[in-house]
Amino acid sequence: MPALNIRQLLLNVLVVALVVAMLLPLFYMITMSFRTATEIAEAPLGLPDRLAWENYAQAFGGMNYVRAVINSVGITISVTVLTALLGSMAAFPLARNTSGFARIFILLVALGLATPNFVTITPIYVIFRDLGLLDTYLGIILAFTALNLPLAVFFYVGFIGAIPKDLVEAAKLDNCSDWQAFWYVVRPLLGPATATLSLFVMLMVWNDFTYPLLLLTDKDKFTVTISVYRFVGNQNIQPDMLFPAAVLGSLPLLILFAIFQRRIVAGVTAGAVK
Amino acid sequence: MTEVTLQSVVKRYGDVQVIHGVDLEVNAGEFCVFVGPSGCGKSTLLRMIAGLEETTEGKMHIGERDVTHMDAAKRGVAMVFQTYALYPHMTVRDNMAFGLKMSGVPKAEAEAKVAEAAKILKLDPFLDRKPKALSGGQRQRVAIGRAIVRAPDVFLFDEPLSNLDAELRVQMRLEIARLHKELSATMIYVTHDQVEAMTLADKIVVLRAGIVEQVGSPLDLYADPDNLFVAQFIGSPKTNILKGIVIGSEGDSLRVHLPQLADTELDVACGTHMEPGKDVCVGLRPQDFGPDGDVTIPVPVEVVESLGGVSYAYANLPGLEEPFCIEHRGRSRPEGSVIQARFTSATALLFDPESGKRIR
Repeated sequence: MPALNIRQLLLNVLVVALVVAMLLPLFYMITMSFRTATEIAEAPLGLPDRLAWENYAQAFGGMNYVRAVINSVGITISVTVLTALLGSMAAFPLARNTSGFARIFILLVALGLATPNFVTITPIYVIFRDLGLLDTYLGIILAFTALNLPLAVFFYVGFIGAIPKDLVEAAKLDNCSDWQAFWYVVRPLLGPATATLSLFVMLMVWNDFTYPLLLLTDKDKFTVTISVYRFVGNQNIQPDMLFPAAVLGSLPLLILFAIFQRRIVAGVTAGAVK
Repeated sequence: MTEVTLQSVVKRYGDVQVIHGVDLEVNAGEFCVFVGPSGCGKSTLLRMIAGLEETTEGKMHIGERDVTHMDAAKRGVAMVFQTYALYPHMTVRDNMAFGLKMSGVPKAEAEAKVAEAAKILKLDPFLDRKPKALSGGQRQRVAIGRAIVRAPDVFLFDEPLSNLDAELRVQMRLEIARLHKELSATMIYVTHDQVEAMTLADKIVVLRAGIVEQVGSPLDLYADPDNLFVAQFIGSPKTNILKGIVIGSEGDSLRVHLPQLADTELDVACGTHMEPGKDVCVGLRPQDFGPDGDVTIPVPVEVVESLGGVSYAYANLPGLEEPFCIEHRGRSRPEGSVIQARFTSATALLFDPESGKRIR
């Protein structure tokens, strides 16, 4: 079957090309992180002559790495927990209510998904300035939570809709209020959905650059992404600091994914099937 | 033990009315079965009693209390769902104790009640398992256990056995019957399976399209149906319905000619006077055919269904839409031959062909 073999071969080539295209920037970032500023200036795409570990030591101190990671982790976890909690709470009545109002409300939520984040930057800045939330952890956490809530609500509506309504009715007969039915019966069943959603939210919050840049000015509150940005000045860039900082910045998320890889994949597939 | 009373109960979804003014009395300690074809409103009526569906019109009482618009949890009912509706993240013990926990029952008391119910239902070895580690029958027992621990005034069962295989269904049916005897509680049970209805019920309520067709004991409904629908719905295989013409009357009996049944003529006991020439429907139960009787008819058997102890022979008679069925005793399989079937004419049931009502 030569036709099939050629097809298979082409597919394989395509897959390899895609993998290379995706890994190339990563490879470039890692090799650059071990080169000195002079080496980079001489041959921008070259390989390191030796491993300049001192770049990492400098970047580690220069970007206040530990502090930045603590900030990013704190903000990411807070936003993820808040988004999952508020999103599922909002989705519970919407998933069970089949009235026209509920459908319109879900459409409105979907509109929130379609709105580009840049559109909301100015209003959020103005509102936060008036509320005194600029340059506070609370402010950045609230902003990220609001940005991610439409996704969470939309996601949970589908998932809760698939939970048999008999369970909620049984809970009602077991003397549960709506809130108790949600908290004791529905919420514990949302584990796989929450795992998948948390993955998306964590990636978005950890990697976001615009909102922390706009809302945070105190260096002690900087997240990892804007700490990396410190090495990009108005006039010049410090590549021997920027690249190791970028590697250091991605490291915590990579480690997290490596540890929880199995569970994350299970969460994504469970979310798809159930 | 508490009685349940429904007075002109109506359920509407927008403009669509699904329950049409149902009046019903379920006595304290009675096992009442709602039976009817799919979509007849039996589950809706049960859910209305449970408080899971709003009652649009009418009154509903459990004991002395008017529960028409009362919250489901306050009605003193417990329901066993068709899907079991066990909380998948809780152990059997937690599933059974959950309602008590939500009602603020002290932990020690709740544990004692769970242990007692587990003993009744032989669930002791499974108390620490999650529902997914149980078989269908065990899950159903847990669902029943969850109802028992709450010691409700009324137990409601919504087709609880329809997800089980045939063997387990028989076993669980006996278990539910035993439970009813043991608890002497009022139970309302929904099923489309008339064998379940006949074997479990003290009282059967036959529903069609949201209307109660007849209420009575299983044997009353079988022997003395009010209309064609009940005559055909209760009893398996269903009653043969034939066209009949009144050809005369004498005292309390009518002489009826059956053109579809080899021009047989019967004398049927009937207190209603009818003029000769009037059309009637004649119902003959397959089980009424046997070795004895005053009427003999030739039946050209095409198919025999053998159930072991009893067989049913089917024939396609001219002018009849559905196969004509008779009970056939013995080990022979008379497919392809004509047998002489006998029955007693007094067992025939007469119905009005237009309204479907019984002519007595």
